[in-house]
Amino acid sequence: MKRTRVFQFTVLLLVIVAAVQVGYWLFDQHERGAEKTAALVRLYDQQGAAAQTLLAAGVPLERIRALFPDLSVSPAQMALAPAPQAALLHEQRQRLTQYLWEGGFFLSVLFGCIGVIFAALRAETRVLNEQEQFLALVSHQFKTPLASLQLSLETMNLRQLPPERLRALMDRMLSDLTRMETMVGQILDSSRLSHGRMELKREPVPLEATVNRVVSQYLERAQTDHISIHSQVAPQLQVLADPMAVDAVVRNVLENALAAVAPVGGGKVTLTARALGGEIELAVRDSGIGFRPADQEQLFRKFSRLNAGAGSSYYGTGLGLFIVQRLMQLSGGRVSATSEGLGRGAEFLLHWPAEQP
Amino acid sequence: MSDPVYHILVVEDDPHLAAGVLENLRAEGYEVDTVNDGRKAVEWFDTRSCDLIVLDVMLPGMDGFAVCSTLRGRGTTTPVLFLTARGDAVDRIRGLEAGGDDYLAKPFHLEEFLLRVRAILRRWDWYRSSALAKGSDVLKFAGNEVDFRAFRGRSWNGEVQELTEKEAMILKVLAEKPGEIVSREDLLEKVWGYDVFPSTRTVDNFILRLRKRFERDPADPQHFLTVWGVGYRFLSGEQA
Repeated sequence: MKRTRVFQFTVLLLVIVAAVQVGYWLFDQHERGAEKTAALVRLYDQQGAAAQTLLAAGVPLERIRALFPDLSVSPAQMALAPAPQAALLHEQRQRLTQYLWEGGFFLSVLFGCIGVIFAALRAETRVLNEQEQFLALVSHQFKTPLASLQLSLETMNLRQLPPERLRALMDRMLSDLTRMETMVGQILDSSRLSHGRMELKREPVPLEATVNRVVSQYLERAQTDHISIHSQVAPQLQVLADPMAVDAVVRNVLENALAAVAPVGGGKVTLTARALGGEIELAVRDSGIGFRPADQEQLFRKFSRLNAGAGSSYYGTGLGLFIVQRLMQLSGGRVSATSEGLGRGAEFLLHWPAEQP
Repeated sequence: MSDPVYHILVVEDDPHLAAGVLENLRAEGYEVDTVNDGRKAVEWFDTRSCDLIVLDVMLPGMDGFAVCSTLRGRGTTTPVLFLTARGDAVDRIRGLEAGGDDYLAKPFHLEEFLLRVRAILRRWDWYRSSALAKGSDVLKFAGNEVDFRAFRGRSWNGEVQELTEKEAMILKVLAEKPGEIVSREDLLEKVWGYDVFPSTRTVDNFILRLRKRFERDPADPQHFLTVWGVGYRFLSGEQA
């Protein structure tokens, strides 16, 4: 990585040097052209003065004209003949045009190269930073369930526990494993979505069945955190999307809602759906910690965790809502979120194209 | 006489980890309370007190470092054991600067955790009991006065000195053996426990701070003397 960096910076430096060199060359050529023209003008002036002297000395006009063919010689004045003057002006203009075109072309190519290399370097730096941030976050997020797992195992090892306590510890460990599995799933999904490696199908998906299935997977966790989940989705509502994507979207939005409600000691999450024109809308409301309206933009950004440590640390990687937004975009739908402020809950609205009956 | 029952407050927002720590501390005979939010932890101290705080760093409401600094700012001297997923040197130092007594990175070994809890409680037990014994809670030397219970002193020029608990502990260790040499390792062991600080230089820095507070000329100390290559010797006014 370091060698690539050195190579990129060397190329950038060389291109900058080349651009400066071309600039200098153009300037130099232009200066030399001007000097050449000035020297010619001086030469014609000297020839004019010589012709004047010869005329004053009584040399006949024909003889002088033969000696200085580029001059228009008359007793009144010695001037440059129209043809050589025109040729001189033409050459000046031609050179200027040539410099402008050639120089302009080379300079724009070089500046283009500089721009491309610079953009590549910036993009790479951004990717590197993102990777670093990602690794730090992932390792941090995994350490909590790992610590919990280790603690449970070492407790079992250290102490003589009655069967019911052993059972409870095992449940806790299984839940920690689920937590890590969820995180791994999110990381893989977001990686695929970031690199555009996800091809989605488009088929009618019954929303009620998906919502019920996902909700049933979270009932136990919700109960532990004193959260009630209510869903009201009419059986005839069908969205046009990839079934896996709909499942992932509902799962991540519900996950987010539970993580928002747990830190306030419990509450409720409701999921309601309705047909709206050519779309199906699923509204997921929670009575959780909410967010500042100003933070709305940040919500769907990768690694954005508005309430780091507040329950979202439980499962959160800062990727869930990023995945939701990308999947909704790829499905031809959209997602939006609103909250009246911290501590006042939040509402997520998901819109998919509807399957026309 | 039975052993005293120590009261520990666990501040941890992860429910599983909090439950695991709570169960194990209870199994060891401690009285345990848990709080899952930084602000709630600070509020908890409005009405209650405990012998040790096990404090997570990444917390909702207020992070662990801020909780520790706030409590220290209010004069709470309860020892703090930080538990955190970030175990790098910078965070360790931040934790200790915020007034923490020890630092354990997640995931941790249960037995090591319990050992550290015991070590901190033992150190504080020693400090409190020796501070209360035989009216030795106030040390007077050469016009200086230190109240070990209040962590407060008055120097020879009348200035009030608010001591950190580490400064008070070091002074306590030295003052218990006036005129005798106390090695840096002994000081580290008594005041910090085993491996919290990587170097004995830390002790030197604390001695410099004590000299600034209580010596008439810190550059020419009369009470906190360095014994080169070994450690320190404390001389009260009479011996000096």
